[in-house]
Amino acid sequence: MALQSTFRIARRNLGRNLRRTILAVTAIAVGQLAFLGVSALMHGYANQYFDSITGPFVGHIQIHQPEWRDERSVDLTIPNATEILEIVRAHDDVRNASARIYAPSLVAVEHDGFMGMVMGIDPRDESHDDGLLSGLEQTHPLGERRVVVGRIFADKNGIEKGMELALVGQDIDGSIANNLFTVADVINSPVAMVNTMGIVMSLEDARDYLRMDDDANEIIIHLEDKEMASPVAADLLSDPILAHLEILGWRDLVPHLLTMIEFVDVYKFIVLFIVCIAAIAGIANTMMMSMFERIHEFGMLLSLGCNPGRLARLILIEASLLALIGLIIGSGIGIGLVTLTSDQGIDYARMGGNESSFEVAFQGLQMSSHVYPNLTTSDILIGIAAILLTAIIATIWPILHVIHLEPVEVMRS
Amino acid sequence: MYWKNNTMNGNSIRCITSVVTILFLACIPGFSDESLKREPPEVESLLDRLDELYESSGTRSTMEIVIVRPRKTRTMELKSWSKGQDKALIIVQSPPRDAGTATLKVGDNLWNYLPKISRTIRVPPSMMMGSWMGSDITNDDIVRDTSYRDDYDYRLTGWSDDPPGWSVELVAKPDLVGLWNRVEFIFSPDTGLPVLARHFDRKDRLSRTMKFENVKTIDSRTVPTLVTIIPEREEGKQSSFEYKDIEFDVEVDDGMFSLSQLERKH
Repeated sequence: MALQSTFRIARRNLGRNLRRTILAVTAIAVGQLAFLGVSALMHGYANQYFDSITGPFVGHIQIHQPEWRDERSVDLTIPNATEILEIVRAHDDVRNASARIYAPSLVAVEHDGFMGMVMGIDPRDESHDDGLLSGLEQTHPLGERRVVVGRIFADKNGIEKGMELALVGQDIDGSIANNLFTVADVINSPVAMVNTMGIVMSLEDARDYLRMDDDANEIIIHLEDKEMASPVAADLLSDPILAHLEILGWRDLVPHLLTMIEFVDVYKFIVLFIVCIAAIAGIANTMMMSMFERIHEFGMLLSLGCNPGRLARLILIEASLLALIGLIIGSGIGIGLVTLTSDQGIDYARMGGNESSFEVAFQGLQMSSHVYPNLTTSDILIGIAAILLTAIIATIWPILHVIHLEPVEVMRS
Repeated sequence: MYWKNNTMNGNSIRCITSVVTILFLACIPGFSDESLKREPPEVESLLDRLDELYESSGTRSTMEIVIVRPRKTRTMELKSWSKGQDKALIIVQSPPRDAGTATLKVGDNLWNYLPKISRTIRVPPSMMMGSWMGSDITNDDIVRDTSYRDDYDYRLTGWSDDPPGWSVELVAKPDLVGLWNRVEFIFSPDTGLPVLARHFDRKDRLSRTMKFENVKTIDSRTVPTLVTIIPEREEGKQSSFEYKDIEFDVEVDDGMFSLSQLERKH
């Protein structure tokens, strides 16, 4: 009963100086909105980085020879790749698996050579959403010494569709590998290596070029659930046929990039900390002003026998109400804005006046000017909890002041 | 073969055309001076002779290269022709699958001829640090002409016990473009020929070691006929170049060193 009346008084007090209450609520709402906005953008970027990492290029799990990641030497191959692919695909959690061959090569259209990277793939296995040829396989058939070439690589070296490329490299025995290939098309790929130096050919052509049998340098696996990478890798490793190979999940394959993504959380909490500092100042200021305005009233209540604890609760409820109203408004606007933009995304390039979005690559990560904001329930709850806690902390000073008031002195002053 | 930036560079040795030359051309008759054993030699004369090792109006040779890798060892037989320091042609004789593959050097340019596809491809500057024929020498080793006497500051650092010989340190002059910051040569006290060279990169880390062995007298020249290159920090790798036959100051037709001739011949 007492709490109910305290709550009613608190609500009424907030209406006494409506302008100040609106300002405090607005500050809290803007703070929550800023936190949710930054979180949504950061998650958008993190998702983009993550897709770039575990998408077509790295996958969720990789299989290769133990020395492959250090040496990247053409002769470090997985023999009997077809048999190994069958074993991998039989695992319940595996969605896709594909074999790949990589061979750095000297490339020439005429006399002048330049550096390129031959990537041998099976077009059928790479046509899924996470594959290297996602969406392209129907129009760009590989095989019979037809290759597709990355857009940036082609533009830089004057390669056009229909041209003949001479490739020179080192085969699996260390001898000279060389052959002529026809450019079937120039493609835009989500994989930086393909775009900047990739010459993509069929596995059969790559094996013929490099004198390989049923070999592959790498087997890329995509899972139904990426979080299952470690247990699935352990399962595969327990198979005697695969036991001598290195089988690693994405967390082990790209730990440095993972750290970069984890920094998103750090950045998010830095923003939340700044918002909370601003909220503390706003709420404490509002409550102190409100308290000083009502100092006679508090003195009167205390002299009439009102418990100082009830006055403390009154201040606490007023501050919490302020914070809650601000949080509801801030969260509502934040969720609304993210919902509006999450499908179409936000293109910074277009906002800056460019006609089209751009993409840049850094250490295999493809970063785009186009970001799709993504908000999680935990972000909203974290924001609400943090700002509510802040509101409570902000009342400590006014509460301490009120409970130490001497009623007689206050009345006299 | 073309892509691995290994740690070698040509500053140290005017290789391949000149590996054809450097390793074996040396040998000024009569240099085998007993006085070398007793008192420190004059560094200038050692370096002059090292630089002169490359010089021949025309050189023809047959060479065997053994490229050792952690999982495989590959042997190639080559024939080479060179004229002065600017022109050289190397043609692979065996194994059969590589036979006919040729490397042509004219000045600072390097071309590879691939008989299977009848194409001649110029090696771009960006790939000069790449491995030549999958060995432990770089394309740059083949192209670069360096004078140890003129391009390096040098000093005799004393007697070396392992291997025995006079040690000379060469530090690249500031304006010298190349991989090596420093080269240490050890010269035989008997012949004045190099027996060992250590190459240090721009961070002054030992990058590769070259051993000069099997000294023989050919055409009145005394030269090492086996050079082994051992890269540092690359376990299980080395390349050996052994001269089976070499002729100095022979007539070599200028026409050999043209692209059209190269393509016509095959």
